[in-house]
Amino acid sequence: MEENYNKNQPNQYLIPLAIVIAGAFVAGALYFSNSGATANAPVAITDTNQPVAAVPEPTGSTDAVRPVTIEDHIKGNPNAPIKIVEYSDFECPFCKRFHDTMNEVMDKYGETGEVAWVFRQFPLEQLHPVKAQRAAVATECAAEQGGNDAFWAIADGYFADPSTGNNRTNQDVLIPELAAAAGLDADRFNECLESGKYDEHIQADIANAVETGGRGTPWSVMIGPDGKTYPINGAQPLAAIEQLISIATDNQ
Amino acid sequence: MYRNALQLVFVRPLYCLLFLAVSFVVLSVAILLPHIGLIKTLWQYESVTVIEIGLLVLNLYGSLGTNFTVLSATYTVLIAVLFGLQITLLTHYIRSVRSKATNLANVGASGIGGLVSGFFGIGCAACGTFLLSSILVLFGAGGVLAWLPFGGEEFGLLGVGLLVYANHLLMKKINAPLVCAS
Repeated sequence: MEENYNKNQPNQYLIPLAIVIAGAFVAGALYFSNSGATANAPVAITDTNQPVAAVPEPTGSTDAVRPVTIEDHIKGNPNAPIKIVEYSDFECPFCKRFHDTMNEVMDKYGETGEVAWVFRQFPLEQLHPVKAQRAAVATECAAEQGGNDAFWAIADGYFADPSTGNNRTNQDVLIPELAAAAGLDADRFNECLESGKYDEHIQADIANAVETGGRGTPWSVMIGPDGKTYPINGAQPLAAIEQLISIATDNQ
Repeated sequence: MYRNALQLVFVRPLYCLLFLAVSFVVLSVAILLPHIGLIKTLWQYESVTVIEIGLLVLNLYGSLGTNFTVLSATYTVLIAVLFGLQITLLTHYIRSVRSKATNLANVGASGIGGLVSGFFGIGCAACGTFLLSSILVLFGAGGVLAWLPFGGEEFGLLGVGLLVYANHLLMKKINAPLVCAS
């Protein structure tokens, strides 16, 4: 009996050891999730599927967010004290959810001029090949021809369509439909769509998203009235965004 | 068998508390993991109060409904509950004499495997913010996710399976009649 007992002695260390190992894995998970690893740094593509300029190393600092200018796609008051800069992928189902949330935010804070919503492109080529990029180009082409209103008409229409997302969108049907509904000239729009002229612009948006710490979509940076920045990772609920707006407003 | 084992353990309020605490911690880590950056940022701003941060964290729990798929939200909750159960059963078991006379290697390995696998599956599988995508892309294999039928959420389901197996083994051991080793 004594012999058996001794033989099994190491078992008493098994549980604490297992818990330590589990803790180490969870710590590893935290590290991977929050280190500025280049892991998910997406690479934008051109029409020829060739990677373009290398994406800069993420600094993980939201202060690296590119200043908002009139060239941006802005919903609401461009001079609003709080700006939410969203980097989004049209084929990401979570971006679709967050788009609805942001529309609710704008319904509440947009009319009073408190909040502006700035939309930037972050198509994830590895997860949503070709289609995310094409949708991004379509919105840029819409903006070129019809201005800010046309941009938001296509963006809102794309996300609102229940058939979009997860790279399953029938873009050959949907994009021309949305363009027509926005009153765009079909020939000019199609020519723009195939030209590749916005690849560089989209690449710049992607680069800035990664630079600010974005490793997935939706990724947003809130800029407060005093210029302080706040990272918003993923599709956050309306209550969290409202709380963050309140913090940014109260702590100038 | 399961009912007997659970009754034996959960008759003590301390074990009920341990179960709730461990489950809550695991669920909180899973939900709040993507927001550590935001919480850290707020902490650095001196003008932001602890109460404001606390309120925001409470609101961030709502991201279980917006930042997860139905499948990933389900297995995330299941993993938290099953891991809480695992730790509670293990604590009960380790405090009994039996732990000195039996082999817990299978239980430990399954339980830890379940937690690790579950954590790999946590997050937004579709849009690249979860742990597995970070690791795969690190090794240049990010495209693999697009080929997996559930986009990587398989690991979460595997985690649930392993934890169920580990709990099954442990409850079996708790129920096993106490015999003298010869």
